Amino acid sequence: MSATAPGSIVAKPPRRRLASVVGREGFHALPFLLPALFLVTAFMVVPVIWTIALSFNTGAGLRFRRWVGFDNFERLLTRDHRFLNRDTFPWTGAVINNFRWVVLYTGLCLVLGLITAVLATRVRYEAVFKSIIFVPMAISATAVAVIWLLVYAPDPQIGVVNALIDGAGGSPVSWVGQANTVNYALILAYVWASTGFVMIVLSAALKGISQEVIEAARTDGATEWDIFRRVQLPLLSLPIAVVTVWLIINVIKVFDIVYIMTKGGPGGASRVIAYSFFVETFESGKGGYGAAVAVFMLILIIPVMILNIRRFRSEAVTG
Amino acid sequence: MIRRYGLRLAALTLAVSLAVVAAACGGGGGETKKGTGTVSVLSLWGGSEQEAFQKVLTAFTQETGIKTKYESARDFLPVIRSRIAAGNPPMVAIIPRPGIVTDLANEGSLISLEDLGLDPDKINANYSKAWTDLTTVDGTAYGVVAKANSKSVIWYRPDDPKVQPVKTWDELIALTDKLKSDPLKPWTIGAKDSWNLTDFFENIYARSAGPDKYKQLFGGDLSFDDQSVKDALKMMTDVLNNQTLVGGVDGALGTTFVDAIGQEFSTNPKAHLFAEGGFVGGITLSDVNPKRKPGKDMDFFEWPTIDEANGNPLVGGGDITAAFVNNEDVAKLIEYLSSPEAGKIWVSTGAIVSPNKGVAADAYPNPLVRKEADQVKNAEVFVFDGSDLLPGALGDDWGTLLQSVLKSPSKADKELTSFQTQAKDAFAG
Amino acid sequence: MTTAAETIAVRPRQTAAARTLGFISRAPVHFSLIAIAVIWLVPTIGLAVTSFRPRPDIASSGWWTSFSHWDFTLKNYDLVLNANKMAPSFLNSALIAIPSTLLPLFFGALAAFAFSWIRFPFRDTIFLSLVALMVVPVQAAFVPTLVEFQDIGEYLTGRKDLITGTYAGLWIAHTVFALPFCIFLLRNFFITLPRDLIEAARVDGASNWRIFFKIVLPLSVPALASFGIFQFLWVWNDLLMALVYIQEPDLWPMTIRISQLLSTYGVEFNLLSSGAFLLMIVPLLVFFALQRYFVQGLLAGSVK
Repeated sequence: MSATAPGSIVAKPPRRRLASVVGREGFHALPFLLPALFLVTAFMVVPVIWTIALSFNTGAGLRFRRWVGFDNFERLLTRDHRFLNRDTFPWTGAVINNFRWVVLYTGLCLVLGLITAVLATRVRYEAVFKSIIFVPMAISATAVAVIWLLVYAPDPQIGVVNALIDGAGGSPVSWVGQANTVNYALILAYVWASTGFVMIVLSAALKGISQEVIEAARTDGATEWDIFRRVQLPLLSLPIAVVTVWLIINVIKVFDIVYIMTKGGPGGASRVIAYSFFVETFESGKGGYGAAVAVFMLILIIPVMILNIRRFRSEAVTG
Repeated sequence: MIRRYGLRLAALTLAVSLAVVAAACGGGGGETKKGTGTVSVLSLWGGSEQEAFQKVLTAFTQETGIKTKYESARDFLPVIRSRIAAGNPPMVAIIPRPGIVTDLANEGSLISLEDLGLDPDKINANYSKAWTDLTTVDGTAYGVVAKANSKSVIWYRPDDPKVQPVKTWDELIALTDKLKSDPLKPWTIGAKDSWNLTDFFENIYARSAGPDKYKQLFGGDLSFDDQSVKDALKMMTDVLNNQTLVGGVDGALGTTFVDAIGQEFSTNPKAHLFAEGGFVGGITLSDVNPKRKPGKDMDFFEWPTIDEANGNPLVGGGDITAAFVNNEDVAKLIEYLSSPEAGKIWVSTGAIVSPNKGVAADAYPNPLVRKEADQVKNAEVFVFDGSDLLPGALGDDWGTLLQSVLKSPSKADKELTSFQTQAKDAFAG
Repeated sequence: MTTAAETIAVRPRQTAAARTLGFISRAPVHFSLIAIAVIWLVPTIGLAVTSFRPRPDIASSGWWTSFSHWDFTLKNYDLVLNANKMAPSFLNSALIAIPSTLLPLFFGALAAFAFSWIRFPFRDTIFLSLVALMVVPVQAAFVPTLVEFQDIGEYLTGRKDLITGTYAGLWIAHTVFALPFCIFLLRNFFITLPRDLIEAARVDGASNWRIFFKIVLPLSVPALASFGIFQFLWVWNDLLMALVYIQEPDLWPMTIRISQLLSTYGVEFNLLSSGAFLLMIVPLLVFFALQRYFVQGLLAGSVK
């Protein structure tokens, strides 16, 4: 399996030379640009502004009705226990669940991805092994959800996890059916699906590290751990950063797997932000309140936008 | 450079969005147009309920020549909401909760009977006031109740020597106490599906606090931390607790509705009593244990009286047929569905109970459905399933509260206070 | 462990003994890798096996017992394909995914060409704005786009359901939300194309269109394929956007159809497992047939 490291996605644009080649052709650019810019403006930029406006409105029936100022946001962040409950300790609600996702999902994917990537380079069946870990990445979150519903099935005659517990003499657990395990069960299922991606990216980056450096370290008497810690890990820091950002975006938007496996249940215990949006907008019909949730998501994403722009502005300076 | 361009971009997009918003605000009035020859109907029914309804639709097509297109969406609300937002509603939908009818009518998405060119009085004459109340929003009639069910029933096995039907709450407590020492537990409940608990609570509350307070509570006019609610919760945990439930409280919280039916009516029952709606009968016979004989080894009795003054209000549910598109074919279908003929075809399948006055008892295929139909028709006072009346997701929250009260009854007061905060917001819209 | 000097010495041709020794010293590595591989495989195998078991067997014994008493059937597939309409939904998934892949590819390539080889005012500013839009959550556009589609449909033909009553709404939504990333990816590929080639074409008087179609596109097949495969699978696997934009049950893709199989009366694993397996077939085929492009597409997708 050959792959490009994410760092190499962006090649340096040959700007100066380009300027000399092409003259003032602004007019000629229009037919190339217009379709895409029109689509993005009409169906993304305008709707986002519209949603922001809607978040200050009751939005009943998903239409503009009555201006309510910051009411939706105030209620969302202070009084909606399904979204954020600060009366309990620790806090609960969709935001906290999503935070749990960010920490555990991102952390586990990185650790497992790193371990598998590093170990896999040391064996001959590397390609086969990597395929096995990577395949779940190709399949739909919907299918992943069904696969894991089966794994977690509370009946030890159906679910393999409970069969193992039963075999060891324990009593079966309804993993996705009870509030104290459901989030962890969902997170593990999604980690299973995403680890392969982290592994592939990091493995590609590892391949880029010169074998000579490693051999030299070995000759100097470095242990395998030293090589990993002092040679490989520092060179992996950029791809790890890129992958971390990807995982975090992925997890702020997580919806499908929750929708299929639990519908946010039991009793709202596994709701995440994207699920709250769906319920408020399309079940309760509270357009404004749902829009406030969407704006909340947007705000969480903004740091990533800024990061992306920063990353690329250093190469493509303003014109 | 960036800043200046950004400003211009913002101004442009703002202008475009304002134009689109302005265009979007145009409303649609309506007069009844000619139909297209086909009526689309959306509902969440699948399986036997869908088959039964399909028979009614087929009869409609035979009578009028108008074709129908039935669409089933298990996740009903998101489908109807997104379709309305996109201007693509089904012509007719069967709405599972009256609270939604009120919301949709207020938003202007529903077509009233009058606008359809139908005579509301004539249509409503087929139903008692309890049912027409559900389809009436601010004095305007918006549809007809398609099917009804009673949730004020307690299931037992007539061949179970230890259980006799009871008439009062004291008798029910005594029966529960007597059964505590039995190898089979007194009660099962599918508390994992929290609506099993809300139904249980509603029966207690309607009988202990009375139908008026019931309507106030679930209509947002009475606080959830009212003493009457606390009392009713206490009564609930008197009956449902670690000693009385299969597997204790934890067991019950891990039991689904269908599992609970199994614990009552499978070949190897684990409990004596099970309180859930009349539809348990149909599900038992089609999905859980087809060998059960209605009236012989499966039967129900009415929820016992708690306070004589409040009598025996019937807690029930119902699905409402309403129109989203105004045309003659749609009007004909709504009219047909409200007719006794349609009701008769429908109930003959055994899948539903009709609230239609014109449907006689002998139209029902088995004694259990007949008994439920009697209960529905003869109820002096009818109250609608309260958790279905609560706005938005509040009904689910209420179920969650009951689950945690079942688990730790002592926390009830605190939970109610916090729930009331939520309820106030939800009722405010 | 052998010393470094010895390792190097035996490398040209290892003796059997040395190889064995090497294997044993790495036993923990092999053991962990095999354990991880098994954990990763078991869930999928469980689903595959379950999908071929008779319904009563699924409920009464674990799928892992089915290897000892052999009893498999295609009944579940028959049920799910026909009675539960997975067959038409398979077609729907394809009819949704193919245009939703080609449209952003085409419009994206056009714009990416302008961003890389035509000079115009504010080029980099607009490009950076698109980079920022790559991560906008689709939730922020759902409701307004539905209203826009309704209004456009009414304006064009008087029918409000012109766009939302068909696949078109989902095509547009997928196209729009793929465009920023597509433009970004292709632009970064286009600027690496040999400048001399394009310069020479211009000198020969070739128009931008000619350069785009005759030089840039043919040279960019790997990048187009990577994005195309990534986008195709993204759309094929999507549930959320289809839930919102596909409103006629007859047009539902497989992902929605599976979500509808989760009935209120218990989990029917016979239908779910066969349905999910059908949903997985296409991505698995793509994965094994086009692994190289697929991995590249995903790697590039790491910024989305």
